[in-house]
Amino acid sequence: MTIDFDSIAVGDSMPSYTSKPITRAQLARYAGASGDFNPLHTDETFARAIGLDSVIAHGMFISGIAGEAVTAWIENKYLRKFSVHFLSMTQPVNLDDFENTKDRATVTVTGTVTDKYEENGEKRIRCEITVRDALGGRKLKGFFVAALP
Amino acid sequence: MADKSKLGMEFPVRSIKVPKNKIAEFAAAVAQLEDIDQIKEIYRDVDAAKKAGYENIPIPPTFPTCFPFWTGGGLMGIVNGVGADLSKLLHAEEEYEFLAPIYAGDHISCTMKVAEMYDRGKKERKGWYIQVTVLVTEAFNQRGELVLRARTTFMER
Repeated sequence: MTIDFDSIAVGDSMPSYTSKPITRAQLARYAGASGDFNPLHTDETFARAIGLDSVIAHGMFISGIAGEAVTAWIENKYLRKFSVHFLSMTQPVNLDDFENTKDRATVTVTGTVTDKYEENGEKRIRCEITVRDALGGRKLKGFFVAALP
Repeated sequence: MADKSKLGMEFPVRSIKVPKNKIAEFAAAVAQLEDIDQIKEIYRDVDAAKKAGYENIPIPPTFPTCFPFWTGGGLMGIVNGVGADLSKLLHAEEEYEFLAPIYAGDHISCTMKVAEMYDRGKKERKGWYIQVTVLVTEAFNQRGELVLRARTTFMER
C-alpha cells in the first residue's frame, strides 16, 4: 500500500512497531553486518572493565530497528532524511533469566507526523520518532523526512 | 581524549562496491531475522526491487552506518585517527541525508572529515564533562553524484 501526501495529516501516528527481545547473538550478527566491532557490544569482559554491568546494544542497532519501523510504513525510496539522538543504553536479554530481563531488551518504536510542507519541488512530511523499552525507558529520539507522491 | 589537532582532518578517500549480500545480511540483522530468505524481497531479489520502483536492490535506511567503517579503516581506524579513547567512547547522534538512491553494485566513494570537536560541561565536574567529535561523511556514486551525507556524533565520557 502506498501512502500519499494528501492522506497524511499533522498529528497522525506512525503505526507502532515492537522488536523481539534483543539477544547477545543478535548483537554479534549486527556487529558483523555493520562493521561496528566495538567490544562494548559483544565482549562481556570489556563491558565490565569499563564499568558497565553487561554488554549493550549498538545505538545504531536500535536505530536500525527504528528504520524497520519507518519503512514498514513509508517506502524506503521516499526517505530524504533520518536522524537519531541516543538517550540511554539498552542491555540485551539474559537467556538464563528471560522473564526478568526481556522488558529491558524489547523496544517499541512510535512516531507522530509534525509537519507537512513543500521543499525542492517535493511534498514532504516530517515525523518525530521515539524508541522506548517495555519498562518505559527512552532509548532514542529522532525524526525522518519523507517526500510522498 | 580526542586529539583536538585532528579537527579538519580528512581521511583518505576509499571506494567500495556495495555488495548485494552485505545488504541482505544487514537487512536480516536489523529485522532480527536468522535467515536472509525471511527478509523483505526488495533487499534480496532484483526483480522484486524493480517491481517496487527501484533500479536495483536498495539499501536499508541505516545501512550507511557501514560507510565510515569501510572508509576509516574499521572502528579502530577511526578511533585512532581522531586520537579517541575506546573505553570512554559513546555514539551520541547519527543523521543521514538521502540525496539520491544507493543500490547494490554501486561504486561508492566516501570522503570523511573531522568536522567539529568541542567540550561540553566543566572539567572539574566528573561525569558532566564530555568531549564531542563530529564526523561528516559524503558518499558519491560511480557517476560522481553526491548520494548521501552522514553526520556522526560521538562523545567521550
